Amino acid sequence: MKVTYNWLKDFVNITASPEEVADKLTSAGMEVEEIVYQNKHLHDVVVGKILKIEKHPQADKLVVCQVDIGKEITQIITAATNVFEGATIPVSLPGADLVNGVKIQKSKLRGVDSCGMFCSGEELGIDENYFEGAGVNGILILPADMKIGQPIDKALMLDDVIFDINITPNRADCMSVIGIAREVSALYGIEMRKINLSYDIDVYAKDTVRNYVNVSVNTPNCKRYMASAVTNVKIERSPLWMRARLNAVGIKPINTMVDITNYVLIEMGQPLHAFDQEEIEGQQINVRQARVGEQIDALNHNTYELDESVMVIADSKKPMVIAGVIGGTNSCINDNTKTCVLESAVFDLKSIRLTSRKIGVRTDSSARYSKGVNVASAKMGIERALHLVSKIKCGKVVRGIIDIASEKNEERTIIVSVKLINDILGVEIPTKDMLRILNNLGIKSTLAGDRMTCVIPPYREDLENDYDIAEEIIRLYGYDVYDNVDYELFKNSAVTEGHHHPRLALERKLRSLLVNNGFYENISYTLVPSDIANKLLITDKRKNLIRIANPISEDISCMRTCMAHSLLANIAYNQSVGNKNLKIFECGRVYLTDELPLKNLPTEKNMLAIAICDDSTKNNENFFYMKGVVEAILNNTSIKYSLVRSSQPYLHPGISADILVDDKVIASFGQIHPIVAKNYGVTSTIVYAEIDDDYLASLPAKKITTKNISKYPIVERDIAVIVDEKITVQEMLDAIKSSCGKLYYKAKLFDIYRSKEMQSDKKKSVAFNVKLSDTEKTLTDEEVNKVMQKILKSLNFRFGAVLR
Amino acid sequence: MIEEQLKQIREELSTDIKNSTNLKELNDVRVKAFGKSGLVTALSKNMREVAPEDRPKVGSQINTVRSELEELLKTKEAEFENAELARKLQEEQIDITEPSIKVEIGAYHPVADVIDRLTDICVDMGFSVVEGPEIESDYYNFEAMNIPKNHPSRDMQDTFFITDEILLRSQTSAVQAREMEKRKPPFKIVCPGKTYRNDSDATHSPIFHQLEGLVVDENISMADLKSMLTILMKRLYGEDTKIRFRPSFFPFTEPSIEVDVSCPNCHGTGCSICKGTGMLELLGAGVVNPKVLEMSGIDSKKYRGFAFGFGLDRTAMILDSISNIRSLYRNDIRFLEQMKGE
Repeated sequence: MKVTYNWLKDFVNITASPEEVADKLTSAGMEVEEIVYQNKHLHDVVVGKILKIEKHPQADKLVVCQVDIGKEITQIITAATNVFEGATIPVSLPGADLVNGVKIQKSKLRGVDSCGMFCSGEELGIDENYFEGAGVNGILILPADMKIGQPIDKALMLDDVIFDINITPNRADCMSVIGIAREVSALYGIEMRKINLSYDIDVYAKDTVRNYVNVSVNTPNCKRYMASAVTNVKIERSPLWMRARLNAVGIKPINTMVDITNYVLIEMGQPLHAFDQEEIEGQQINVRQARVGEQIDALNHNTYELDESVMVIADSKKPMVIAGVIGGTNSCINDNTKTCVLESAVFDLKSIRLTSRKIGVRTDSSARYSKGVNVASAKMGIERALHLVSKIKCGKVVRGIIDIASEKNEERTIIVSVKLINDILGVEIPTKDMLRILNNLGIKSTLAGDRMTCVIPPYREDLENDYDIAEEIIRLYGYDVYDNVDYELFKNSAVTEGHHHPRLALERKLRSLLVNNGFYENISYTLVPSDIANKLLITDKRKNLIRIANPISEDISCMRTCMAHSLLANIAYNQSVGNKNLKIFECGRVYLTDELPLKNLPTEKNMLAIAICDDSTKNNENFFYMKGVVEAILNNTSIKYSLVRSSQPYLHPGISADILVDDKVIASFGQIHPIVAKNYGVTSTIVYAEIDDDYLASLPAKKITTKNISKYPIVERDIAVIVDEKITVQEMLDAIKSSCGKLYYKAKLFDIYRSKEMQSDKKKSVAFNVKLSDTEKTLTDEEVNKVMQKILKSLNFRFGAVLR
Repeated sequence: MIEEQLKQIREELSTDIKNSTNLKELNDVRVKAFGKSGLVTALSKNMREVAPEDRPKVGSQINTVRSELEELLKTKEAEFENAELARKLQEEQIDITEPSIKVEIGAYHPVADVIDRLTDICVDMGFSVVEGPEIESDYYNFEAMNIPKNHPSRDMQDTFFITDEILLRSQTSAVQAREMEKRKPPFKIVCPGKTYRNDSDATHSPIFHQLEGLVVDENISMADLKSMLTILMKRLYGEDTKIRFRPSFFPFTEPSIEVDVSCPNCHGTGCSICKGTGMLELLGAGVVNPKVLEMSGIDSKKYRGFAFGFGLDRTAMILDSISNIRSLYRNDIRFLEQMKGE
């Protein structure tokens, strides 16, 4: 919301500087985002008069002008062709710093002194709409009666200061100059000036507004509709002061009647519409919902197809205006308008919001209606407009204003507790300050004991209870009262026990494990492109991607259903910038649903995904490293699982495994399927793992029990056997364990070897290290040898293994 | 006579020991003394020439000399061994400036790290950490937060919608009502998580992280909020951190405030990070709007609350001096490696 310093001064007699006012407003919650001095680039520019023009002795295209700039006559050389002797023109003098970056200094042009430059409208930052002649291709020729030597910012009324203020949605009443002025008035404790709403009417004329228009309201979405008529309308350029105000807040001046409606919109926050009375068929205004099939040609040159959800202002035949949003070309003010009907209405904000969004049109009017316009403001708005008609003498106001209101908005009285207000704030505010602040805000307040009676003005629809009043008090009293507040933590509250989230706590352990083993944590966008299921060869329910209705771009249009996408995309990105070997992981969610479109909230599953990409290793070393990582992770929980070949479509079918619990896959790991890797543009081998974190977090805590350890030494022996390839290491380890009986302490694989000969026989040599221990005594060689024989026998008997 | 000899032998051998320059020479002295035909050995052999009554005395004198010499030998030997060890150690010296064999350690993501740090601080202060869905109903994200449909306060956020009633949560505040429905006051909760807004430019990522805090109890006030946030910010940014309140508006709090935190970089004197103001606008907060409590079934006559919420991406960016929000989600290893710190 833009307002100007001078405009505010119309209503509050402030002497503080614009910066001070801005600081005060910001400290009270009206954040001033920008202060713009209109005349920032107009210093050292004055009104001058050309006394004499002579040819430049050295240049055909230049002329030498003698110019009266008030206090002296100066010489300026110009190439402009539209200047003449006696012309009044803007002169920029040495020191000027124009808006287009031109800096003026004394100079010589082809040997002749020039002490400045004449300015075009563009060089002063104005256009034809603002000032006649400002749009011509050449020097701005000013009216001859302008005072010579006057600074140009004063002469052209470009000396205001503009505030751009961020108005929070609860303060629709501040979407106007008057609203901001009320805040300034309260902040400085200076009373508001009375708003001039008076206007002249021809007391002898017999006609009333009813002779020009009738109104009927046939929709609940219109809360109030006021209309008045103005005859003998003069459609012309409005006076400079009015154009100056509109120009300052970024509204293009057009003509008297249109400018008045815009002026009131900014000043009072009340949108108005002006109709050409002769175009209102049947002199009848009907406020109603549109009929299906109706159309309107709007002022933005678009044609809109209407339906019953859209409220229109229609005459007896056709819609003239999309209510509160945009006018139609069929009834708007034009250069030939003689009689004008002015509308000042209040519409339901929801209706305007829906229409504005539906047809995709946002105007100054719809912006205000969408935030909420107060029912009381319609009257003030139309009266202010009629005042302006009288003031600038652009028409005769007809007696009477039509006023159809379905809703009244009057002062409300609420009673609040001083103690509660202080309890909410946690600081003691003196009651006299409370009363002063509220009364300054226009909230007439009186105190009886703890009870404070507050009369809320109609425009403060946001104030309902003690909490709202507490906020009004503290924001004007000043939040700096808290600067020195430093109480004991929760001194008046119950002690509560803090708990970490169980899954996050587990994740933190796992993340630590991974980081300490050289992995880097990733966080990726959970919004993904719509083709990830295809790229990952997924055909199960993970292909049901939940799609955003209003995505920013296709790349981030759907919710992730598989973590593999994120890590593969991250690897592809890293490889593209030369980061080759990678160990990464991410804790994140996948969003799964059985049905689309979504009827209920989907399942959000927390997953831990890990990827290793390292081309320096061979023999599936990375697969087994990843297996180790997965085992280390699972080892943090009490999980009991089995390992089977994986069925994940994006993993290599021969080099992958699933971790099963009760036939449910709770983790998968393995090499990325070559087609998938290709789909992501990754050429190296990637080993990937994903683990269902929610499942791990749901498990009971791991129970720890210890057994007594033997005080006798462990005896170690190695054994190497040759067996068929198809015999697994795990089968043999199980056999070894059972052969050892109670002497078993540990057994592990330490080597697998395949000579050429063995390979052709489909055999391998497998070597184990076996550790034995007895709790009662030191084992003798004889006893150990017996066990080793037993192991060999068992391996031979069960798997055909022979000693190597 | 034998005593003379003994004395002489002792002198001679002591000198030999003293003068020997290496282990071999020392060994020669040992042989000269105690070898088969060594001087001391010879003396012992000559005992029979000593009068029987003198034998105990002489014997004991010989033994004294023997042990004296042995002690000397031992000391000298240790001397040589120490010298030898010192030489060897010197010889084995390596160049310690050669590059290390790296222990491979990765790094946490800066945002995840901030979540860890903040939740730790909050748990210490009696908060419990909770989570909620990111794909959320319009009710919990908006309506239960006092943001009715078609209300102007909806304009504050550009929301991603999936259907008319289902959306991507635009604020972790969506978790507030869910928890209030579940819990009985007094309680304190914090909720970290992802949030989504249809907003993407140099300083906004459509996906970002927030931490929401909510306290509901009987005597909660704005001053409690100040005290609690002061502790939180001090733990995060350092003991000399100060915070300041400014008025603001959120539909779910009343009064609503913005909280400015003294710039951890310049400590309030003004720098490029805080654009010369000395303060950083870091979080929104306020006293819970009684309408919000009532909607979730909490008696607003009896209970009050405060709530706060802040952007974790921005927090991470300040803590780790990260200049571009995009780098948080690109997962470039060259960026993540820097999270190990210096």
